[in-house]
Amino acid sequence: MSMIDTPMTAVLGHFLDLSAYRESLISSNLANIDTPGYRARDINFRQELDRADSGEMQYASFSPLATQVRGLIERPDGNNVSLERETLLLAETQMKFNIGVQVLRSEFHRLSSAIHEGSTS
Amino acid sequence: MNLFGMLELSGGAMSAERQRAEVVTSNMANAETTRTPAGGPYRRQLVIFSARRTPEFPMMLAGLRNASARGVRVDQVVSDPAPPLQRYQPGHPDADAKGYVAYPAVNPVEEMTDLLGAVRSYELNAAAVQAAKNMIQQSLDILR
Repeated sequence: MSMIDTPMTAVLGHFLDLSAYRESLISSNLANIDTPGYRARDINFRQELDRADSGEMQYASFSPLATQVRGLIERPDGNNVSLERETLLLAETQMKFNIGVQVLRSEFHRLSSAIHEGSTS
Repeated sequence: MNLFGMLELSGGAMSAERQRAEVVTSNMANAETTRTPAGGPYRRQLVIFSARRTPEFPMMLAGLRNASARGVRVDQVVSDPAPPLQRYQPGHPDADAKGYVAYPAVNPVEEMTDLLGAVRSYELNAAAVQAAKNMIQQSLDILR
């Protein structure tokens, strides 16, 4: 950890990485909404975030575990992507990402204010 | 870290859906076509989608070979094996010895439904592109 990094920026970094990764999985589910036999995939956000924060997942080997979503209704062609679930998650993940960005910004502003001896930068 | 990959993924899905819409439109346009270069009436075309792993450069750079985000592509375009419809039109130049003309087995209702499905899926992926764009823009805002 360098001088500029605070524990908070590290956690927020993982949070943003995971949000972006989840968003890409959702996009992939939406892209394959008409692909026969495709199964929806997602990550267990809480579990992966804990794993990242425990230092188990090093930055160079960022590899969250994507699994098939259980309990979805399957169409006759073997595809089980639920449009409602994916669009809701898309919006939710986007907002969570936004929250992460805003908190990270305020964290950097705090640092910057410390650098400028408390005067507003 | 793979935000730009998302753009590519959703963009690929949009072009696949557009191709599906094109094929459907061609089916509707040729619903009454009795002559083709291959001989016989027009055969209804169907697109088949398949999921693929996207080996994008940034992901490979980060060693993310096992990343499981998957794009979609048009695997193949096949002809519907359904037999052509026979209509009794003895005066038609393409009529057979018994006076029947073979017309493509295209059901306009089916094609319209498919077209609507393709358009909606296209919109869906456009929404995903918008989401990815917003996220990239927000990441840039950290720098400000």
